[in-house]
Amino acid sequence: MSDDLKTKVQELIDTMINPAVAGHGGYVELIDVQDSRVYLQMGGGCQGCGAADVTLKSGIERLIKEELPEVVEVLDTTDHASGSNPYYTAGKG
Amino acid sequence: MDRLVLLLPTTTYRTHDFLEAGRTLGVDVVCASERPNTLEAQLPDHFLTLNFADPDGAAATVAAFSRSHPIRAVVGVDDLTVVTAAAIAERLGLTSSGVAAVTTARDKYQMRECLAAAGLPVPRYRRLALKEDPFLAARGVGFPCVLKPLTLSASRGVIRANNVDQFIAVFRRIAALLQRDDVTVSGDGAEYLLAEAFIPGVEVALEGLLIGGRLHTLALFDKPDPLDGPFFEETIYVTPSRLPDDVQRRIGDVAVAACAALGLAEGPVHAELRVNAAGPWVLEVAPRSIGGLCSRTLRFGTGVTLEELILRHALGRPIESLDRERQAAGVMMIPIPRAGRLRRVDGEAEARAVRGIADVAITAHPDQALVPLPEGWQYLGFIFARGETPAVVEAALRDAHARLRFDIT
Repeated sequence: MSDDLKTKVQELIDTMINPAVAGHGGYVELIDVQDSRVYLQMGGGCQGCGAADVTLKSGIERLIKEELPEVVEVLDTTDHASGSNPYYTAGKG
Repeated sequence: MDRLVLLLPTTTYRTHDFLEAGRTLGVDVVCASERPNTLEAQLPDHFLTLNFADPDGAAATVAAFSRSHPIRAVVGVDDLTVVTAAAIAERLGLTSSGVAAVTTARDKYQMRECLAAAGLPVPRYRRLALKEDPFLAARGVGFPCVLKPLTLSASRGVIRANNVDQFIAVFRRIAALLQRDDVTVSGDGAEYLLAEAFIPGVEVALEGLLIGGRLHTLALFDKPDPLDGPFFEETIYVTPSRLPDDVQRRIGDVAVAACAALGLAEGPVHAELRVNAAGPWVLEVAPRSIGGLCSRTLRFGTGVTLEELILRHALGRPIESLDRERQAAGVMMIPIPRAGRLRRVDGEAEARAVRGIADVAITAHPDQALVPLPEGWQYLGFIFARGETPAVVEAALRDAHARLRFDIT
């Protein structure tokens, strides 16, 4: 079941998510699926990006849940503090 | 499910905390930024791209969107978005202060004019056109004075001048700052600056929430590091304030009067005041919540975040408590000591291990080009502490900061 779900998530990432985030020099890597929870890592321009939370929670998680309702949560395992080339950098405003 | 539009600039620190609050409340969040999200084409119902410099145009876009996607609330998370949020709210009849009031509060000159007309204590001020000859502009300005852009925040471009020579240099420095690619100003903000008398004294920040025209003080922060210039870099905020109760009451009274004078009636307020023997002086009343990650110092009732309070108010949902937790709390915005590139950070584990430290968040990334104040507007990160007393919290923040080492070359 988990392997099957993992395959479906990977397909979604390959066909819908990564082609889109590649436009900002980013990519998303599937780390694992455990108990219907999807663990992802964001790289390239996504790592440390000021908009990464928006992309993950309002974008990637929503896309995955819409296509695969059995997914209960999408979790980001990225060490954003180590991102060396984020697409957007936060500032106090 | 209620739908909420969050105005989230791509450069804001606030995204995570507001999205978490939206998730806690179970609302359908539509994220609006000034640049398209990479997934906007796939999820057009959940992303919007708005020009925050054109509030009327943005309001028209959201109004069109709302015809097929009814909206319950709109919240702008920081200075860049509050006028647009008010314009959207006004157009759709949502909870917010009016556009006129928010616009006045966003422009430091207009704000001074409004507060002075209401008889509130503000520094003596003059608006100066950037096209003026700075030597001539200096005539009639007393010293020491503080020069500042009209619409930038986070102390960016705020510089003290003690004499005419310094005034001329500062005037030119601010003019150059406003030309930078990473500065977004328009209208009067691009053409004028403000010169005002330097007010000696201690500085405090009042965090509040306006509900139906009544200001509820959520927290009063002391800023224990002296802010005497030449730059005004904010570092440590600690609450509750250690000022005497009667002084705190007068600060609250002045903040209430300032909000009323500006016509602010709904939503978060971040006010900055100086206090000396003459009493409190209003430096700023911003129609937004505290910036950076500083809101993480605040918890209300049974652990509710500031962002959840703000969203609850905007959505018209009940608010269980506006009372801050009993513990003292504080944050240190870690200043950028010099220009360069951040190579590495050491000492995080030691800083976290300091008694009272709740978290250390390094927000600058490796190889990031660092620009210190007054041209910059970012921080290396944030240190958070909790403790029995404000003094304990302040000591923990200083101790943790001393253990961090930043390699900048």
